Amino acid sequence: MITQTAPPTPPAAVVPARPSGKRRRRRPDLFRTLSRVLIMLIVIVQVYPLAWLFLTSLRTEQDFATGDPFALPSSLTWENYARAFETGDLGRNILNSFIVTMGANILIVLLGMMAAYAIQVLGFRLSKLVRGLFLIGIIVPVQIALVPLFIDYSAINLLDTYLSMIIPLAGFSLPMAIYLFCSFYEYIPKETYEAASLDGAGPYRIFGLITMPLSLNTVVTVVLVNSIFIWNDFIFANTFVLSEDLKTIPLGLQNYIGAMGKVDWTATFAAVCVTITPLLLVFLVLNKAMIQGLESGATKG
Amino acid sequence: MQPNRMLPNRSRTSVLVFLLPPLLLYGAAVLFPILQSLFLSFFSWNGISDMEFVGVDNYVRMFVADDIFWRAFLNALVYLAICLVLQLGGALVVASLLTSLRRGRELIKTLYLLPAVISTVAIAFLFVRIYSLEPVGLLNQLFHWVGLGSLERPWLSDVNTVLAAVSAPEGWRFTGLYMLIIYAALLAVPKELEEAAVLDGASRWTLFTKIRFPYIRPVWITTTIMATTYGLRGFDIPYLMTNGGPGQSSELLTTYMYKTAFTSTDFGYASTISVFIVVECLVAVGLILFLLKRKADA
Repeated sequence: MITQTAPPTPPAAVVPARPSGKRRRRRPDLFRTLSRVLIMLIVIVQVYPLAWLFLTSLRTEQDFATGDPFALPSSLTWENYARAFETGDLGRNILNSFIVTMGANILIVLLGMMAAYAIQVLGFRLSKLVRGLFLIGIIVPVQIALVPLFIDYSAINLLDTYLSMIIPLAGFSLPMAIYLFCSFYEYIPKETYEAASLDGAGPYRIFGLITMPLSLNTVVTVVLVNSIFIWNDFIFANTFVLSEDLKTIPLGLQNYIGAMGKVDWTATFAAVCVTITPLLLVFLVLNKAMIQGLESGATKG
Repeated sequence: MQPNRMLPNRSRTSVLVFLLPPLLLYGAAVLFPILQSLFLSFFSWNGISDMEFVGVDNYVRMFVADDIFWRAFLNALVYLAICLVLQLGGALVVASLLTSLRRGRELIKTLYLLPAVISTVAIAFLFVRIYSLEPVGLLNQLFHWVGLGSLERPWLSDVNTVLAAVSAPEGWRFTGLYMLIIYAALLAVPKELEEAAVLDGASRWTLFTKIRFPYIRPVWITTTIMATTYGLRGFDIPYLMTNGGPGQSSELLTTYMYKTAFTSTDFGYASTISVFIVVECLVAVGLILFLLKRKADA
């Protein structure tokens, strides 16, 4: 790197000219420093709004309305959190989000494994076609299902239930799960199955005793990736759910917009902080697994 | 015997047992609604009175007579462009810079991904405040400090800025996700290739364009497809922040479809628009594959 005689890279060009020998020696460090500064700047842009959100939730209303938005709070208060819990039913919302996320995840994992097992392990004549049919679902926008499902749900009285959210959330996440399970099952050696078959195990036992336990890592990936999207789903919940009792977190947060669009901002921000905490904790604890999962989702293709 | 069949003896029933439940869910939630939308798009129906077959009238109305539709379509393209630049461009820059760091990579990856975990409703709230003028929000305050006071404005009620203002949060939210994917791909570029190029006197820029980028091209295609299809289905943030307004200045096809269906209860016409959204996604994916794959072969 020290001996390279390449034309100056764009970052180096901004620097005032120096004696060329010295400059050549310094350039790698300079590049490194500049990239460090740039990365820090971008990280600040990514993280600062969230830090600001948290700080605002601790501000007094007076401070928020009049003060400089970048300034540190003049005094800290938990009062906003008290008001946040009074205004909405945050506990209920979190519980509902939890139920929907669990329900959808169970369906996705179980059905995803089953479909991948049928396609990849059992095999059948039209397996390629069926696989393609599932994969189309990855690029189909969810909005296509809103009107038809709304009509179908009202015909069979399924509007305003947990299931009305779980079915489309699971259905639209299934393709990616099947894809991930299929690409994992490709790597399970044929001999594993042959040995089990010789011992007299049928397809059901092999699924339960070999394929399912082996899939554990992929299950973690699938659950983590899908949970982010399901936990935060707004569009299905907003379309199919009306009653307060069933509102998930994203809908619950909307209750903080009062009549005439007037918003109690500090309390709202406190509520936002409360509702993002569960997923944020899971994310921070499991971030290695989650990052691996997200990476593998795209790079395996 | 099928090439991909791994179990020597399995019955036809067992295939059905494993295949039917997932197909049922997928059919009910995804496939059947697509067909139903296609069917409904040829009808006029408000959900209460009798359905009336109108042939291709909805399509004619959409393409010929509906200015809002075209406005929303153009807005959606601008929205997509802003998202792609922020997400893919930002992701590529940060991922490349990250490979030159010695320490702290894991921490930065985590911090960078943070916004992706937060719900769109929370993000919408947050950005409404960031853009606000009265009381002064983060963005306007920032402009004030760096001496660009003339740029201060209510970003969400100014018809010239509102579309960019609702697009940026969506771009901001997922940059980290695409950065992760591209970063993982960049790490997989063989070190020997890079070292050989450096010995041959390649600059950082040539190293990037001639070695690294061609190597990660397959992943780049995947991420481009992901970002494009997500961008075209973008809905939550514009709907929550401005509901398409002021006027139609931040109306996207998705928000227009939603309002047509659930505010005007014009199910037939809404289905026509959603059929268009699906076709638009398929065309976009086809185009990306065509353009990027062809370049790779050349």
